[in-house]
Amino acid sequence: MQSVQDHDINMTREMFIESLLKTFGVESWNALAYGMEHGWLEYEDELCKNDPVTRKHIARILHMFLLKEKGICDLPDIGGAGVLRDLYDCHVCANHVAQIYLRGIMDAKDLASDGGFLWFDLDGEDSQENIHEYIRRTVETVNNEGKVATL
Amino acid sequence: MGWNSWNAFGSGNTEELTKEMVRRITELGLYKYGYQYVVLDDGCYRPERVNDRLQSDPVKFPSGFKAMADFVHDAGLKFGMYNDIGTRLCSGAEVGIYKHEKTDCEDYIGWDIDFIKVDNCYYMWDNATFAAPENAVYSYAPNIRSVKIAGKTYSAVKDAFITGSRAAVNDDYVTFIGTFDGTAPDHSPVGLRSSELVFEVEVADAGVYDLVVTYATGKEEGTGAWLQVAADDDIVFDEMLPATDSPESFAESSPVNISLHAGINRIRLMNHRRQENTLYSYTEIRKELERFGKGRDIVFSICEWGKTQPQNWGHLVGDSWRILNDITFQVGSDGNPGTAAWESDYTTSITSQYNKAVIMDRFAGLDKGWNDPDMLVIGMDGITETMCVSHMAMWCMMNSPLMLGMDLRRVSKGDPVFNIITNEDLIALDQDPLGIQARRIFTTYPCDDPSLEYIRDNNRVDILAKPLANGDIALGFFNLSENDHTDNITVSVDRIINAIDSIICTADKDRFLNAGAYRIKDLISKEYSEVQGSSISVDMLFGCGCRVFRITTLT
Repeated sequence: MQSVQDHDINMTREMFIESLLKTFGVESWNALAYGMEHGWLEYEDELCKNDPVTRKHIARILHMFLLKEKGICDLPDIGGAGVLRDLYDCHVCANHVAQIYLRGIMDAKDLASDGGFLWFDLDGEDSQENIHEYIRRTVETVNNEGKVATL
Repeated sequence: MGWNSWNAFGSGNTEELTKEMVRRITELGLYKYGYQYVVLDDGCYRPERVNDRLQSDPVKFPSGFKAMADFVHDAGLKFGMYNDIGTRLCSGAEVGIYKHEKTDCEDYIGWDIDFIKVDNCYYMWDNATFAAPENAVYSYAPNIRSVKIAGKTYSAVKDAFITGSRAAVNDDYVTFIGTFDGTAPDHSPVGLRSSELVFEVEVADAGVYDLVVTYATGKEEGTGAWLQVAADDDIVFDEMLPATDSPESFAESSPVNISLHAGINRIRLMNHRRQENTLYSYTEIRKELERFGKGRDIVFSICEWGKTQPQNWGHLVGDSWRILNDITFQVGSDGNPGTAAWESDYTTSITSQYNKAVIMDRFAGLDKGWNDPDMLVIGMDGITETMCVSHMAMWCMMNSPLMLGMDLRRVSKGDPVFNIITNEDLIALDQDPLGIQARRIFTTYPCDDPSLEYIRDNNRVDILAKPLANGDIALGFFNLSENDHTDNITVSVDRIINAIDSIICTADKDRFLNAGAYRIKDLISKEYSEVQGSSISVDMLFGCGCRVFRITTLT
């Protein structure tokens, strides 16, 4: 996982949501309103639309987008995400993070020099390059799992 | 008893959904069984304060909290809300109660709440950065190598002793002076969990002496910077020490004045701030609720996840205390019931919660409060009907709060879920006026004392017993394993009585020992039987199944 570069910080929530919708080819004059209407965004996203988007927010939005917009069901067993030391710190985010991590859409960093301390970094921020990569992987997930669901 | 929005809808709860749940409680008649509190959990607030005050989320709860409370009260039910002792809620909303205790409690009283659940997210003295190791700064003492007093140096390793089970010797110093984080299921709640480093210092003359501590600070689990020093019970120092270069780079503290008496003094180096700070924060809320509430009866549900061993202090301020992190993180949403589990490595299962709560009976009672193994997950995906029955029976035997966590639109009168949650015989155990949590009197897992040993291996059968107000005894057989238990299990009345000897009154004890015949009601099948002799047995327990009996003596 790349670290945030000085020249490449502060993708806001609104920018992230617009980028997500644009990648999926959704035409909307107001991405936030669209997401709220479709049940995968919160009022908080509107209120904090100009704040930098954190990793836990990215995980929530991508997870809810998959669930509500694309009809892709949750993985039933999130035990595998238990390797993330901070997974259960955020009660509200845990399932979002687990679903996105286990699908390989977002990854974690290893804080220990000798390995074995995987940290999702809930409040961390990502580079725009990384965020675009998460969106690309989301497209991949929809292409793969969406087809299975249709079959 | 009641309904809480979290397991059913997570952050997606709304005014309309809550109203629908209120209607369902009425239509299903759940209030008649005791389910009376309707609690809005996280996700209901506007994410930022307005003029420093709390407000409802304008999209999810457009009519506001007072209107919601009125709706709940008009239905003959009670209204509950949620907040956190930290600066934010778990959802991240910047409306935590910290430093807003007065105004928030004034608002809660204005909204006519009857119940408040107070969570532990973003708490700066312990977990402001969640599980990041730097939290240890406040919750652990520095590593200690030695102390100097009255012209003599005392080695932490050679001349002192450690109390409790947390601290340990590492080379020439002592580390982990503090307490376990009880949020995860790794540690037993029973026994002295926190550690102090104690020096016995003998002085010829009473007087004030200078104490110098050789220490090293850190920001990692086991090594912090906050030190408390006491001479016997007199705390003489309670502050953060200046940081050292590393946890193994030692420095001498400034002298601490300490009064000693002639003879042997116990000088204690410790850090109990993890509990003390948390207790203080919950106390502030309690005080303000009482001040504004003027006698209003408000149930205070402490939800700090067992992090700071609340079984030791929760009764001072609250009515119940959560014992672990959440029972599930796969909560539901409108149209999705969420997922729960029977077994897991973390706290996220019925048995994870049960395994800890079942040895905590000594901490609970009418004069204390209640261990809270989290809300019921009955009605969620991932668990069978048999598991749900056992889940309900376990919680009732353990006097746990019974908060439904399902979308009540998915329940109909007479269906299996309805029958489980309205089992009046089980509920009567939970609500028994004697208020004694069942004690584990036997387990097939080898151990010295089934009532105290923390057992996480679920390949076993437990037997729980609890005395009841009318003189009956409730007896539960629980098969934790997913495999059927086909061997007969018999327990003698002598053994039952001996195991609950300290919690049963003498008259009932004698009556049971001398009866020789008993009427037994199976609280799940509702069948009655009579037993002649002096033992009770079950022949078969399905995987994850249970049998729960109410035993009455026959004269």
